[in-house]
Amino acid sequence: MAVIFDGIAYGLQLGLLAVGLTLIYGLGGVLNLAHGQFAVVTAIAATVLVDVGLPMPLAILAAIALAGMLALAFDASLMRPVYRLRGEARVLLSLLLTIGAAFVIDGLLIYYYPFAALNVDISGSAVNVLGVAMRRGSLAASLLAVLALGTLILFLRYTRRGKAVRSVIQDEEGAQLCGINPARVRTAVFVLSGVLAGVAAVAEGLTSSLGATDGLDLTILALIVTVVGGLGSVAGALVAGLLLGIVYTLSSFYIGAYVTFIILLLAAMLTILVRPSGLMGKGA
Amino acid sequence: MDDTRVPVGTEEAGAAVAEAQRARPLRAYLPVVVTAVVLGALPLLIGDSRYFLSLAVLMLVFAGYGVAFNIIFGNTEQLFLCLGALAGISGYTAAILGNRLQLPMLLGVLIGALLSALLGAAFSWVSVRRRLGVIFVGIITLSFSLVFANVLLGQRDLTGGETGLIIESAPGVVAGRGVGAYYVFLALLTVFLACHRWLQRSHVGWAFRALRDDEVAAELAGIDVARFKLIAGVIGSLMVGLVGGLYAYYEGFISPSTYAVGQVDIPVLVMLAFGGIGSLLGPVVGAAVFAVVDELLRPLSSIRTTVYGAILLVLFLGFRHGVIPALTGLGRRVRNRRTPRT
Amino acid sequence: MLQVEGLHAGYGDSIVVHDVSLRIEAGEAVAIIGSNGAGKTTLLRAICGLLPVVSGHVTYDGNTLERIPPHRIARLGMAYVPAERRLFPAMSVTENLELGAYPKRPDSRLSALVFELFPRLADRRTQHAGTLSGGEQQMLAVGRALMSEPKLLLLDEPTTGLAPMLAEEAYASLKRLRGSGTTVLVAEQQVPLALDLADRGYVIEDGRIQLEGTADDLRDNPDVRQAYLGLSDQGAG
Repeated sequence: MAVIFDGIAYGLQLGLLAVGLTLIYGLGGVLNLAHGQFAVVTAIAATVLVDVGLPMPLAILAAIALAGMLALAFDASLMRPVYRLRGEARVLLSLLLTIGAAFVIDGLLIYYYPFAALNVDISGSAVNVLGVAMRRGSLAASLLAVLALGTLILFLRYTRRGKAVRSVIQDEEGAQLCGINPARVRTAVFVLSGVLAGVAAVAEGLTSSLGATDGLDLTILALIVTVVGGLGSVAGALVAGLLLGIVYTLSSFYIGAYVTFIILLLAAMLTILVRPSGLMGKGA
Repeated sequence: MDDTRVPVGTEEAGAAVAEAQRARPLRAYLPVVVTAVVLGALPLLIGDSRYFLSLAVLMLVFAGYGVAFNIIFGNTEQLFLCLGALAGISGYTAAILGNRLQLPMLLGVLIGALLSALLGAAFSWVSVRRRLGVIFVGIITLSFSLVFANVLLGQRDLTGGETGLIIESAPGVVAGRGVGAYYVFLALLTVFLACHRWLQRSHVGWAFRALRDDEVAAELAGIDVARFKLIAGVIGSLMVGLVGGLYAYYEGFISPSTYAVGQVDIPVLVMLAFGGIGSLLGPVVGAAVFAVVDELLRPLSSIRTTVYGAILLVLFLGFRHGVIPALTGLGRRVRNRRTPRT
Repeated sequence: MLQVEGLHAGYGDSIVVHDVSLRIEAGEAVAIIGSNGAGKTTLLRAICGLLPVVSGHVTYDGNTLERIPPHRIARLGMAYVPAERRLFPAMSVTENLELGAYPKRPDSRLSALVFELFPRLADRRTQHAGTLSGGEQQMLAVGRALMSEPKLLLLDEPTTGLAPMLAEEAYASLKRLRGSGTTVLVAEQQVPLALDLADRGYVIEDGRIQLEGTADDLRDNPDVRQAYLGLSDQGAG
């Protein structure tokens, strides 16, 4: 039973990680393969700031802000030529450029901070949740994920700006006719995705640790969850995250690490083969 | 309506075009011949250095991968991010068959390569049947690469897991790692290049171009898109399998990292960013440049990743189709301006 | 209010609209009539910024529009209702209307006016736009455009996919709109309805303006009657 709770906790983290990626795709038809790097940059920056003397909460906030700024830089530079293209050419170029950027960041981080890893310690005894003993870190990470995701969902469903974002996803031309600037919305959401990746990094730091070498793995995880949930669907990312999180935790508990990852990958492949629009994607 | 006219977009028209192109075969294959001769002379320059020889062989191996990728992606836009895995399937199959069943190298490699070709065919067929777009093909093949890597790690009894496999083979030309091995790989590469050239000039190449231009229009014009994508997928995968299998015997030792995405697919992308995706000799030029750059950067450890990332960025931001094509395009434009219109 | 001079526009390399000039004064209703493929949609899209202007000028309320992006043109008070409507399918009728008023706060007075104009929408306030019928979607599209209190309303074939009765209802609503002073430019294949609403009209074919005149003049014009009204001077069509 405890395993399932762990699965849900991990699932929330996966959802948090994937939601930014899927939003960007839904908005602009681009795939940001440097997504995991945003998380890792946050983790390393927080570690560095703590070493310099900043208290952990402040360091985390500053690091997340850094991730947001990095995302802004990405949008202002790399994404410009990408958005000038349309359809498959656009997604291809976004793939290639963001992979390049991911490698640039990955190499630099591993070189300069090979051993830095974010570990947010919440000491204390296990907390009893519905009869199951959960580690404090795990619980904190879950609460953080719920808070972040909840805020995002409330923003998208009930605020004017949130609806403007959804309008661009649902019909970009219609949004333009309403006076909404799609480019500005895309930039804002790109920054948001960076921030969300940063929060996901903090959650990971609470449950285990996040180091410089984890960037590409995180991107792949986010990609798997995004694909299974449906490219562009926020609800899909959450549902897929929870599902895959539970599967992952159960599988690694009872079977083993390699097979678990294979199961996740096969889930993505199966989704593409059987229902490319994912669990909750919009249309085939 | 004149029934004897051949409608422009059909297969008959393509065959007619190909027929006209067949007129001057010698000139068409000249680049292949020249490349083979130039590369053939390379060992003379290298002399006795085993180190540089192994570098040169690596260049040929990657050029082979590159030609395959150009055939698969450059011609039919199938983003096969599983080249490493396809090569690995062949390599590991050949190694395991050789070690366990004492199968001779050629047979083992052939079986391995056929397996790769089969898998490539499966990917092509599936993506056509399910009408998968470029990124879905990319994601599915990338996922497969990762599955393969994890299977290698997990199935330690069969594959040696992380520690890899030593190939216990009788000494041969390839396993000897000498000049002979170099010429074997060069021969293979030459065949690949000739094959690509032949494809380009044939009816198949005409279909490829129509496909690349506008897949929907090609389909409507009566071109069997599925068949041609399958052809490209099978030929390219077969090539990858042959190279991957032979390479296993050449190295004498393989591990998951030999065929990892980061070790094969990514360098191929960087190479082709330079040499030109879809071009004939781009893989050779790109592989040569890459081999040199890779060696120069070796002492820099993980910064190498950064440099490759930067190369990808710069090249795809500036030269969408590769540096070499951009340069040759420039050359052609300059030449056209100088020669008078006929 | 709107002045178009020598407009050339098209898609990619092909020019569809050639040398079109027209003008609309404030408070007028102008119809652009022509058959399928005549260039009506291309013309409207070029005016409201969704298509690039290859050459020529579009002046609206003193602003030159050729280089301005469509969302900015929308904010200048020009509302375009495309034939495909372009609604937000997963959002409710109310939400679609509210977005029409963006960036301004949703004005209940305005939505009340829209619901008065299209009572059928009021019954479906919370329904998702994607589940509405064709006629209701058309009403919603027009209503959404009205939420921005536009000075100029551009309508592209508002009767697309509507049964004849609904089409007449739609034009009845448009006439009531005119009463409140909105300037209207409507592109239509269904000529009788358009000419009934409009003060003036332009006939466009092959991307060029072939005729212009008052609605009455056009209705009486023998070529128009033959081509679009199915009537000829030698007996009924």
